[in-house]
Amino acid sequence: MPAATKDSAAGAASKRKRQEHVDQNKKRRKSGGADTTEPVNPKAQLGKLESEILESRKHYNNIATLLEWSQKEAEDESSDLAATEALCRVFLQLLAMRNLARKKDASEKDATVTGWLRDRLADYREVLLAMFHIDNLTNSALMLAMALLKAESQYLDDRPEAVFPQYFFAEIVWAVISSPVDQLREQFSEAFLDKYDDIRFYTFEAIRDFLQKKNEGDATVNTAFDMLLGIDKVPESNDELDTFYINPPSKKKHPLRMLTQHKKQAQEAWLALMHLGLTRDQKKKVLGVVSTSIAPWFTTPELLMDFLTDCYNAGGSISLLALSGVFYLIQERNLDYPEFYTKLYSLLDADILHSKHRSRFFRLLETFLSSSHLPAVMVASFIKKLARLALNAPPSAIVVIVPWFYNLFKRHPLTTFMMHRVPRTTEEKELYESEGLLDPFLPNEQNPMETKAIDSCLWEIVQLQSHYHPNVATIAKIISEQFTKQAYNIEDFLDHSYNSLFEAEMHKEIKKPPVVEFMIPKHIFTKADAAAEEKDSLLVSLWDFGSS
Amino acid sequence: MAGSQLKRLKASLKEQGIIGPQKSKKQKRQNAQDAKASTDKRVQRHEALASIREQFNPFQFKTSARGPKFEVTTNKPVSAREAMGINGRPGVTKAMAEERRRETLLVDMQRRNKVGGLIDRRFGESDPNMSLEDKMIERYTREQQRSHKKNSMFDLEDDDELGGGLTHMGKPLFDDDDADMAMKDDFDGEELPAGDEDDDDWRAKRRALKRQRLEEVLDAVDELDEEQPERKKSKKEVMEEIIAKSKLHKLERQEAKDEDTELRQELDKQLPELQRLLFSRNLPTSRQGNDNTQALLIAGKDKATFDKNYDMEVKKLINDKRAAPTDRIKTEEEIAEDEANRLKELEEKRLKRMRGEEVSDDEVEDEEKGNKRKSGGDDDDFDIEDEDINEFGLGEGIKYRPTATQLGFDDEDDFLIDDDLVASGSELEFDSDDMEEDEEESGSGSEEGEEDEEDDDEFTKGLLTEAESKGGVFQLPTNAKGDDKDGVPFTFRCPQTHDELVNVFEGIDVTKLPIAVQRIRALYHPKLGPGNKEKLGNFARALVQHVKYLGDRSEQHWFPALESIGRHIHSLAKSFPIEVSEGYREVIQEMQQQRPLALTVGDLITLTTVGTTFPTSDHFHQVVTPAMLVIARYLGQKIPQELSDYVTGIYLSILALQYQQFSKRYVPEFMNFTLNTLCALSPSKPTETLGFFPIHEPAAGIRIKSASKTPVTQIRKLACQDCRSPSTPLTSEQSTSLKLALLSTTVALLKSAAETWHKHSAFYETFSPALKVIQSHLSKSNAAHLPPALVSKLAEASQSLARLLQIATLSRRPLELHHHRPLQIRTYIPKFEDSFDPNKHYDPNRERAEMAKLKADHKREKKGALRELRKDNAFMARENLRVKKEKDAAYEKKYKRLVAEIQGEAGQQSNEYAREKDARKKARSRR
Repeated sequence: MPAATKDSAAGAASKRKRQEHVDQNKKRRKSGGADTTEPVNPKAQLGKLESEILESRKHYNNIATLLEWSQKEAEDESSDLAATEALCRVFLQLLAMRNLARKKDASEKDATVTGWLRDRLADYREVLLAMFHIDNLTNSALMLAMALLKAESQYLDDRPEAVFPQYFFAEIVWAVISSPVDQLREQFSEAFLDKYDDIRFYTFEAIRDFLQKKNEGDATVNTAFDMLLGIDKVPESNDELDTFYINPPSKKKHPLRMLTQHKKQAQEAWLALMHLGLTRDQKKKVLGVVSTSIAPWFTTPELLMDFLTDCYNAGGSISLLALSGVFYLIQERNLDYPEFYTKLYSLLDADILHSKHRSRFFRLLETFLSSSHLPAVMVASFIKKLARLALNAPPSAIVVIVPWFYNLFKRHPLTTFMMHRVPRTTEEKELYESEGLLDPFLPNEQNPMETKAIDSCLWEIVQLQSHYHPNVATIAKIISEQFTKQAYNIEDFLDHSYNSLFEAEMHKEIKKPPVVEFMIPKHIFTKADAAAEEKDSLLVSLWDFGSS
Repeated sequence: MAGSQLKRLKASLKEQGIIGPQKSKKQKRQNAQDAKASTDKRVQRHEALASIREQFNPFQFKTSARGPKFEVTTNKPVSAREAMGINGRPGVTKAMAEERRRETLLVDMQRRNKVGGLIDRRFGESDPNMSLEDKMIERYTREQQRSHKKNSMFDLEDDDELGGGLTHMGKPLFDDDDADMAMKDDFDGEELPAGDEDDDDWRAKRRALKRQRLEEVLDAVDELDEEQPERKKSKKEVMEEIIAKSKLHKLERQEAKDEDTELRQELDKQLPELQRLLFSRNLPTSRQGNDNTQALLIAGKDKATFDKNYDMEVKKLINDKRAAPTDRIKTEEEIAEDEANRLKELEEKRLKRMRGEEVSDDEVEDEEKGNKRKSGGDDDDFDIEDEDINEFGLGEGIKYRPTATQLGFDDEDDFLIDDDLVASGSELEFDSDDMEEDEEESGSGSEEGEEDEEDDDEFTKGLLTEAESKGGVFQLPTNAKGDDKDGVPFTFRCPQTHDELVNVFEGIDVTKLPIAVQRIRALYHPKLGPGNKEKLGNFARALVQHVKYLGDRSEQHWFPALESIGRHIHSLAKSFPIEVSEGYREVIQEMQQQRPLALTVGDLITLTTVGTTFPTSDHFHQVVTPAMLVIARYLGQKIPQELSDYVTGIYLSILALQYQQFSKRYVPEFMNFTLNTLCALSPSKPTETLGFFPIHEPAAGIRIKSASKTPVTQIRKLACQDCRSPSTPLTSEQSTSLKLALLSTTVALLKSAAETWHKHSAFYETFSPALKVIQSHLSKSNAAHLPPALVSKLAEASQSLARLLQIATLSRRPLELHHHRPLQIRTYIPKFEDSFDPNKHYDPNRERAEMAKLKADHKREKKGALRELRKDNAFMARENLRVKKEKDAAYEKKYKRLVAEIQGEAGQQSNEYAREKDARKKARSRR
């Protein structure tokens, strides 16, 4: 490309960069050309048209021809986009030659030509964006559009510094969002959004604009939401903002170089989304990542407070999920949540131990109750309530709570009375002898300070010491062993399931022959002889196996 | 001592009276006169001077320049030396060392390369406690013993030991009698008769010669006796007599032996006959010909084969078990008692396993100890428990006493007659426990093939005996198919996989299947062929899978057949525990991976047979634990949609409860599912919260509505076809009846669960929700929808539950879990030493302290040894130098003497010469 090298005298650095880019383009084209096995004719013609345009202004009308071809290509899913690519090359070179820049001192004729060229460029953009909706073309269309974007930023105006063509980019982003092709979004975030800070910056802006125009319930809102969710790497300081797709402005104070500006953009995009209102699933998704990848984007996370408290109060799994967000606010922003522990206690309902988010909840619960300054009465309430729930819990949940109890007992020695309570007086003993003992614990009391759990005992865990699963039973036994260990690492016990327990069993090879029952099963399905004075097995007595 | 050395010297001299004030002449004279006193005085003076000299030698004592390092107060008496701070006397020690060297090293040096040594080995020579006679007797006996021990090697006379004597290439040199015998074996039989006469001749001569010689000796002895009867025999004579006598004895022995040999030879000749008598059956008839040919054959060409046969027979005999006395036949009471003991023992083992204790002593820790228990510090081990070796049915070895079954008395179908509760497979186990274990450990190879014999149990007894008595007709499966009247063929291929099994059993009615299985087990009984063991193992595995297969297609009238297949599996499991359990584990794994929440009827049947094949009460069991997990997973995670889901869940609940019937372990999922089922069937949604079990809102049409009109007889039991989702939607009547059946079964189940678990500490908390749920069914609005019979049943259940709950409340006490011995608190106060000695090392680590001590010792010893060696070397050098000097001096002296002598001689000669010369001169001049 001799023209490209000759022309731009300004800025040696930018020249080199552009040249590289063009070279890349060339390479891509070459490889593309090698692959395609089209008849020679249209291709030769294409090459001819392309070279003619670059030779002289006379042939600028070829651009219109190429545009036509390209539009045809945009309708055909299986085309190889030769014309579109050629057109892209043409525009890149024309841009590089500054033929599209409006010059003050240009003659009227030149201005007309420039205006015409600009119109064609706009047409071409439209063609490219239309291609975003067609399955097989999205890949190259996106690359071409981004290449064009880069060139535009550099040469569209007569200014020495690159200017981000925000409008074109916003159009690209909207097209990406509204495109039905998921792959396109993936590619976009992989190749540009995750890599370049300026792209991310303007994407936030574009999404915000996009969302502001939309109504609730639009399908595209969901995709925008997914895209926002996908942006998770939050830079930590201004210095980290150093990868730019388009030559960055040299000014230090430019918003692109300010982290707060980035955050502001992100925050606005998120707020725009939340203003639209979220569905239940979206809420769950948001709550899932709120503390890790959403709240850090916010310059004023307090804005999330209402959202989170609403969710926390909603009950069910949403409240479980909101817990981590609330915790983030408490931790980072010193949020004062009134009656936090009462609310937390109310989360311990029949479903909690069966929930999908059990391990997540327990991680947080462990954090919340790790303070040794909590009142023992309250800790005892938590312990007792969970023990009560464990009577109906799957083994994987029991496996978690017992070591956690152990840790709590270690931390709050007052609660150990729940394991070991010797009657002090003879009257007390007599009372037990005559009346037995009812559990003083009030399971339906809402306030953890008033459940009387501390006066109760952990009979439930003792019962679980004879759990059908040997490992669970053994774990339950730790509370009646001597407390010699400092603490258990709860993390080791989380994340079990029926499946993992089962796999653990099945991974043990049979080395020794298993024991075989020594009683001969005389009757499995049939009834026992009445004469032999045997009892029917439970199964036979309750089930009908056809024998009378 | 103050003052300078000189002053001190003067003072001490004065003190001893060696110097003193000058004496007057008179005194001196007086002294001189007293001669005797003067010598005394001189001696005294010498002593005094020596002591003073010693006292003033600065190298006499080694003292520490600075005094003791630490002031130590002790109650030990302090020696004078220590008080003076004297650490050693270098002069004295040096002199002592020198002296010692002179005594030892010098002697060695001088004797080196010069003097040999004699060691006095005479017994008792240096023992002063023994009298002379004692010594002599002792010496004599010793000598005798010595000669007795090794006299045979080259003793030409002594020839009564077969192995001894001179040999060549392992063969004796001399044609002695025994050697003769030995050679005869080597020679070919044909040559024997020819040389026989000569040999006999020669031997007789020799013997005569020997006897003659001996007689001569004896005569001589007698003569001597006769001549001087009264003379006491000299020692030599006594010895000769003894020798003669011993030779006589030897000769007698020799003769006796010869006779024996002859007899033996005769017998040997008769051996073929004897052999024929012994092994008449095995020998071909041709060998029963006349004796001569037989003998000839043996002696002749058939020798080799004969030897071979003989060897084989001998080996057989070696391997034969020696006849042992049979056990006394036990009385009935004894048998019953043994049986009771055995049962008790098995029961104890079961209880041990239930508590999760190790049953046998050769337990090896499994590495997969609690995969999930990464935190460590827990002393639990969930390893696979093993059993006593004889428990799993390989330990029996050979049965020597044929049982009644084997003798063929008992060939009835034993399902009916087998009334002992215990598997007969382990019948003899406890009688000969130890012996069998030993046998197993020694791994006697010959027994391996038959080891599992004892396990032919009730199913194959009859058939096996038949098969055996028919004499190998069944030994190989024939392809000829004969069917009996049921249409079951007599012979089968032994199916190795489940597909094969399905093929083989194709066309056989399922109800006849147990017969087919029984036949296969008989046909391929491990006794009957070498490969049968593996085949039958694979068959067992396939059979397990077939249960599931059949279960999926099961019909109501199949269950008796399924039951007997289950029993077959149980008895196969005793012989093939690994194969059967692997078969089960495969099926269970498949359930877990493919349809954890959609179990089929086949799965249910399989899980049922698991419960009957293996002990479900064990703390850990390789098959039962995964099976229980599968059940619990369904109960815990299945959200029932259809009635069939509920039915399946209830079946599994029954199973879960039945599994825990003995060990009474708690199953939380059981409560969840049963309570949920009750809630779902309840005519109206419960208004209040009933408990902490998760409630799933039932699908439409599950709740029982207006079924009060249903007659009592309609409340049926659940059956397996209810577990399948119906192909055509149930009519409302059918579904109502199914719902009622579900409800009544669930309530009955809850009742029996309450009875099972009523001893648990949290029984009240566990079952009070159940009571609430049942009571909610009994509420007016709900009871109206239910038939009155069921309502009364519910009421009864609720009453019994309420009673149990009350008992539980009464018997409940506060927990007292931590009556442990208090833990010692670690102290951080350093240990205070009462009598601290800085020279000692107070290392708390005993081993390290000992090591340090040892090292210090070693170092000190090494240094001492080095020093000694160095001093030795110096001493030797010094000594060598002295010797050399002496030698040189002697040489010099000799040399000088010789030179002087020669010079003298030469002088003399020259003098003589000069004189001669002079004389000649004189003479010449005179002439």
